[in-house]
Amino acid sequence: MEQDNAVTIGKLIISNECMPPYTEANIVADRFLKSAHLDAVALVEGREPIGLVTRHKLLFKLFKRYGFELYGKKPIIALTDTEPLIIHKDERLDVAIDKALERQAQDAYDDIIIVDDNDCYKGLVSVKQMIIQQSNSLANIIIQKEMISAKVNELKKAELMKSQFVANVTHDLRSPVNVITVVAELLNLDSERNDIEGLKRHLSLLMSGATNLRALINNILDLSKIEAGKTEVLNENFDIVTMLREVGETTRILIGNKSVDVEVIAHDGPIFIDSDPVKVKQILTNLTSNAAKFTEKGKIVLSLAAEGNNLSISVSDTGTGIKEIDLNKLFQPFSQLDYTKSKKNEGTGLGLTIAENIVKLLGGSIRISSKFGVGTTFTVQLPINQSDKTNAKTSAEAISLHDIKTIVLTEHEESYGKG
Amino acid sequence: MEKVKKKILVVDDDERHLIATQEVLTNEGYEVFTYSWWLGVTNFVRRLQPDLILLDINMPALSGTGLSSLLLSNSGTKNIPIVFYSSNDEDSLRKTVSEYGARGYISKGNIYELKRKVAYYLDNNIQ
Repeated sequence: MEQDNAVTIGKLIISNECMPPYTEANIVADRFLKSAHLDAVALVEGREPIGLVTRHKLLFKLFKRYGFELYGKKPIIALTDTEPLIIHKDERLDVAIDKALERQAQDAYDDIIIVDDNDCYKGLVSVKQMIIQQSNSLANIIIQKEMISAKVNELKKAELMKSQFVANVTHDLRSPVNVITVVAELLNLDSERNDIEGLKRHLSLLMSGATNLRALINNILDLSKIEAGKTEVLNENFDIVTMLREVGETTRILIGNKSVDVEVIAHDGPIFIDSDPVKVKQILTNLTSNAAKFTEKGKIVLSLAAEGNNLSISVSDTGTGIKEIDLNKLFQPFSQLDYTKSKKNEGTGLGLTIAENIVKLLGGSIRISSKFGVGTTFTVQLPINQSDKTNAKTSAEAISLHDIKTIVLTEHEESYGKG
Repeated sequence: MEKVKKKILVVDDDERHLIATQEVLTNEGYEVFTYSWWLGVTNFVRRLQPDLILLDINMPALSGTGLSSLLLSNSGTKNIPIVFYSSNDEDSLRKTVSEYGARGYISKGNIYELKRKVAYYLDNNIQ
């Protein structure tokens, strides 16, 4: 297995304990007995290592019957391994481990002497420590491999989504173009037959196809621009309350003849903020047009409030609602849900993706709560960059629920206020 | 005696395609039925026993390919020829046809190809 090149044996030195080779064995034993954690001592002459004394081998010899008497006074070099494993400090850890474990079984776990470029003694490394380090390196390699594998999967998924996106765009662009082409042929036939009724009927189909195509092209271009990072935020000073009411009126028109009221709950008076009005309006329009499509009766409520340093705009409806399992699909491109998609509720499947992207661009966030069969609420939070325009409210508290006014836009487009 | 009109069923979730296709094929002298929602479509096919089904592919809930498999595995509907009628690109349509055992495909958007191919598939209904 490939090793972590950064780990060389020299980096693992934990002791540079050494003694002259002619030191009495008793003195060396004493050194071990005083240092409980000392496992080995190198025997160094000048700066050259010539032997290794290990705790367990020396003490085992001395503590045997008459051991001290027989060997205590002898030079330590006479009792020790004079061919210890010596490894250059820059040797790779895995190679060093292999060399260590190739030794005789009784020596396999003896410390290793490390030398520098001049074969001078640098210190000792324990095999235990090398193995721990090796395990950590292997664990790191496994983690890195897993991370790379996760990244590869992520990229594959992104690639798949991109292909799916292109396939969807291709199909969805062709579909209205095909309608237009066929209907144009029918119009041609109508004109040849002087069929005025046919002309009217087919013109309406043609317009529907063309409108759908225009919406799709606009949305694809918007999304491409956002994803390419080419969308600029152009902040202006504008009254968010007026905008909310305008969006409410547009929503009422989109609802058509359905028995759905539109309520706008906002401050009774202007609130000027610094943001990009075109983009804020696009977010709100995308959310309300969705609400208008999926609400057959009841109401759609647009409301404004402050949450900390954010302006919070909610769009609630009493429409189809979304199953919990589908909530995470909502912001994916072309992810119209099976139970919401029908040509009556035709859309491009890009509106929410675009809204989410624009919200992020403006430094805000969007969240959704929904109950299937009951309704859905989208809440957009945008940072408050309130202007100091005269007469404007200037703090988050000022946009609280005080002085709230509700405007209700009914089916007949009458409007009245509730204080 | 009046010639019995061939029955064609068009299944598509796009009402505009349904209306336009119905008009084109009705003008050709066929009896054209339309269905825009997957619910109950297999029963409808079983009762109607059309001579040809034009099936859109990209539909919500039950795709044209799924519906095709369902119809071809059902004893009451398996002998009815199915032709995919879609805005997908032709390469993908060719693959889909061989994969799902349909008789062929017709690309949406060409009124003349629609007429010609429908006539062809009706005249060449070989099991």
